[in-house]
Amino acid sequence: MNASLLILEYAVVGLALAILLLDLWVPASCKAKLGHLAAFTLTGILLASFAMHPETAHYAFKQSYVLDGLSLFFKRFFILAAILVLLISVEFADRMPTGISEYYALILFALTGMMLAASASDFAMVFVSLELITVTFYILTSFQRNRTRSLESGVKYLILGALSSAFMVYGIALIFGAAGTMKFTAILASSAALATKPLFLLGLLLTFSGLAFKVAAFPFQIWAPDVYQGAPVPSTAFLAVGSKAAGFVLLLRVLMGTVPNITAQWAPLLMLVAGVTILYGNLCAIPQRNLKRLLGYSSIGNAGYLLLGLAASNQAGAGAILYYLSGYLFSVLAAFAVISVVSRQTDDEDISIVSGLHKRSPLLAAALALGFISLAGIPPLAGFFGKFLLLKSIIPNVGQPGVALLLGTALFGIAVSFYYYLGVVRAIYWGKNNSDLPPIAVPVPVRLVLYVCIAGMLYLGCFPNSPLGTATRAVLALKP
Amino acid sequence: MSDTNLMLPESWAWVIFFLPLISAVVITLFTRNQPQLSGWISIAAVSGSFLLSWLFFGLLQQTDVVQVPAITWLSVDGLSVELGLLFDRMSLLMLLVVTGVGTLIHIFSAGYMKDDPSYSRYFASLSLFVFSMLGIVLANNLFMMFIFWELVGVSSYLLIGFWFGKASAADACKKAFLTNRVGDFGFLLGIIILWTLAGSVQLDHLEQRLVASPAMLGTAAGLVGLLIFMGAMGKSAQFPLHVWLPDAMEGPTPVSALIHAATMVAAGVYMLCRVFFIYQVTPGWPACLAFLGNISALDIIAWIGGFTALIAALMAIQQNDIKRILAYSTLSQLGYMVMSVGLAGTTAAMYHLTTHAFFKAMLFLGAGSVIYAAHHEQDIWKMGGLKEKLPTTFKTFVIGTLALCGLPPLSGFFSKDEILATAFNQNKFLFVLAVLVATMTTFYMFRLVIVAFFGRARSDSAEHAHESPRIMTVPLIVLAVPTILAGFFGLDAFLNPAAHVSANIFDHLFAPFNHSPFAAVFGLGAVLLGGTLAVSLYWQAQRDPLPEKMQCLAQIMRDRFYLDEIYTALIAVTQGALSFLADAADRYLISGFVVRGVQGTTDIMGRALRLVQTGNLQNYAFVLAISVAIILLFVFRN
Repeated sequence: MNASLLILEYAVVGLALAILLLDLWVPASCKAKLGHLAAFTLTGILLASFAMHPETAHYAFKQSYVLDGLSLFFKRFFILAAILVLLISVEFADRMPTGISEYYALILFALTGMMLAASASDFAMVFVSLELITVTFYILTSFQRNRTRSLESGVKYLILGALSSAFMVYGIALIFGAAGTMKFTAILASSAALATKPLFLLGLLLTFSGLAFKVAAFPFQIWAPDVYQGAPVPSTAFLAVGSKAAGFVLLLRVLMGTVPNITAQWAPLLMLVAGVTILYGNLCAIPQRNLKRLLGYSSIGNAGYLLLGLAASNQAGAGAILYYLSGYLFSVLAAFAVISVVSRQTDDEDISIVSGLHKRSPLLAAALALGFISLAGIPPLAGFFGKFLLLKSIIPNVGQPGVALLLGTALFGIAVSFYYYLGVVRAIYWGKNNSDLPPIAVPVPVRLVLYVCIAGMLYLGCFPNSPLGTATRAVLALKP
Repeated sequence: MSDTNLMLPESWAWVIFFLPLISAVVITLFTRNQPQLSGWISIAAVSGSFLLSWLFFGLLQQTDVVQVPAITWLSVDGLSVELGLLFDRMSLLMLLVVTGVGTLIHIFSAGYMKDDPSYSRYFASLSLFVFSMLGIVLANNLFMMFIFWELVGVSSYLLIGFWFGKASAADACKKAFLTNRVGDFGFLLGIIILWTLAGSVQLDHLEQRLVASPAMLGTAAGLVGLLIFMGAMGKSAQFPLHVWLPDAMEGPTPVSALIHAATMVAAGVYMLCRVFFIYQVTPGWPACLAFLGNISALDIIAWIGGFTALIAALMAIQQNDIKRILAYSTLSQLGYMVMSVGLAGTTAAMYHLTTHAFFKAMLFLGAGSVIYAAHHEQDIWKMGGLKEKLPTTFKTFVIGTLALCGLPPLSGFFSKDEILATAFNQNKFLFVLAVLVATMTTFYMFRLVIVAFFGRARSDSAEHAHESPRIMTVPLIVLAVPTILAGFFGLDAFLNPAAHVSANIFDHLFAPFNHSPFAAVFGLGAVLLGGTLAVSLYWQAQRDPLPEKMQCLAQIMRDRFYLDEIYTALIAVTQGALSFLADAADRYLISGFVVRGVQGTTDIMGRALRLVQTGNLQNYAFVLAISVAIILLFVFRN
């Protein structure tokens, strides 16, 4: 028992409760501004986290919670994402029917779940933290109760999420039955023996399916487009960045940190899933006209690229996943922040709303264009480097059957993605219809979000050396 | 650069390097709407770099080379890309020239561009250009040099096309960029081959390896040399890639002074001197070029340089636009320098590059001052009598002209003499050609001065001309100082301390007559002959007498040997053929087969997927359950 390790989580939960309490006293007109308070406090927590330097892994709660380099990396990642999402939600607040303070608190609870997931070292912890995330997201996605689309997306996410949780919890039960323990450390110690037990493998596969649902990998991607499209913009943004990254940190913990020998055997499965996910996401994105739905498919495609790093099953691949996720955070949040502002007047998310955007607001246009260019993987932005590292990590395995095909698929997917990403960029700068609309005023907090995102994309793209070092050090925790 | 400390000059090197970039970024992001401030930021940045550069002047008195520790930009296992700075006498001289002349041009621009609505953009582009140029000058490896080579291309594109609203400027910047791309492509190929064969792109490693085993490049030696030269051919505007330079006069005149006198066009010559060691390896040609036999890459370079000098001088004789005359004269002088490199006279080339940077920048700025005073009139036949109206401009212009012609004791005489002497020792034919070019140089420059400054005013704008403001004349006066004095101190001795031991000023002054009297006498003779001819033809002339005397020959010269027309026709034909091919490929292969094929497949897939993506929750749940089953089947299939 070493509960003091959870200081960051305590702080976030405390903040969430404080926001709920403050809601009782703050006058209705100022409630939206509570989001600024939350974001500001979170920034303090983020800065405080840099005082922690866990050289070795520290455990709490009988080894079910671990604090190491990897978990700390992801905690910071999630906090940063939450800060930016909170700032976007303040801008979005007046489009929510009621209860904006609850919305902020829910974001913070989801954040707590993500932070716990980053530290999970026990299958029970995996399940509990994931449920904390998903259950809050059921509410976050359906928060615009006055819009049927939002409600629909919430219900779909709820039922499909429950189904996938059911598979996962069944899988965890089987793992416990086969191994007699749910602790990662204990399973790692006896993983050689467990690799031959079909029951354990079955349990692991079901758990993998549950996690694949969270990251929206084929064949569990089916919910993503509908939910992304229907949910309020800040919820979608947090779902795209936070929930996906939580899925990946757990995939890394389980597949690479706990059962590396089985993962190596399953390389064909992972490669198949990665390849098909890339194809599915990118091909389906081509005909989309709704920006959020487009980003939903793009998020599926990106899950595919990230799975490349997992299929490589080496340290470089794990580091590349961290790098790519960081770039993805800035690129996607920039895009969602812009969509949130631009969709305000039109209450529509069709691509046509951004056409001629550069005449209405150069900053929004630049941020959205850079975000999409980064997602497309064009230098000198973050996305290019992430994709480069992911592809590079799998190249050493090129002797294995299928790897060459997978590389080809990934490159094909990238080429296809140029089409729809740059289609949006073209609409922004060369689209004709909307340029006579009035200029858009960008509120200062959103402006801040955009500056942070642009700086992040440029930094990760132009000076890859030092962040790559950070990512490489973080994944050392996965080395058995 | 983990263990640098601010007291070490090495860390100041980065300051020199990055100041102009910072200025460009600050202006673009923050001071776009405060033109005055933008101008001052830009001037402060370049002059700061200039002053800091003198630090290294002192440092290099003690050692020959200062290597600034490299920043590793990227290292993923097996691949490492570095940014490193290299200070030796050559790069320091170039650094001082670029930042020094650059500073004066910045100051001049503050006056010349005063009323331009895009004043801030101008200075941001100017700073970006200086930054790119410093990258070329200080690069310690070819990879970095290439990156900045391209950046110079981009920033010159921005500057030449500064008045992009004018169709001719827009065309000119495109032409400059594309012509340079041709050269850059060869340069890149050369770097890649060199890297493959010698295993390094770092200049000092390369030099060590090639000196240790001169046969390392094998039969590719000549090819590598020529490909690298292609880069210089583009930037330094050598035949046949020279066509962009005269058109690039569409940019603002200070830009012409900066990029067509002191920096960009000098980059090619500088680069050749920098990598001269690759021309000193065992010669060899690949099988397909074996017919070249004993002709080395250097011979080809020398001839191309000489030829460029000749045709450019011929073209200059019949131009009427003051900037165009200077542009062709620049081409011709660059030809001189390249020829000198080809004759293994790198010191002479760098010497002439330096003095040329001073007096040609001064001439361009002087032309700018004339154009400014004469209300944007550029035709010299519409000027005349500007001597009294623009006294300062006139005096400095004459000094520049005499220096360019090579009249002792002005700087141009010494550097040109060194090239003539090199040619005299190496290749008599090229020597004759060089003397001929020197004669023509004097002829067209005297023609320019006599027609524009003497006689009576031949238009209203010349009649009402006024001397330019101080901010523009002071840079002219400052530039006159090195134009006059640069020869006295023997820059060649600074570049190559081993070869020259003579010390006092008089030794330097008479050195040309001592070590190669023949070349010096012929050089002087060329000046006298050219000057006399020009005076006799143009003194008090109302229009150009040459077209009558030489008939079609003069017309051919005026029309630049129809090279531009030939290129246009050539490009039109190749482009036509290529576009026909591309169109056919696009229409039938890509659009017909690939896209339709893919579209068909995607369409079918889309329809199939749409069946899945129904939006119906029951179906989704069903698919999810089936998926789990499939995954289980896939793993447990055996």
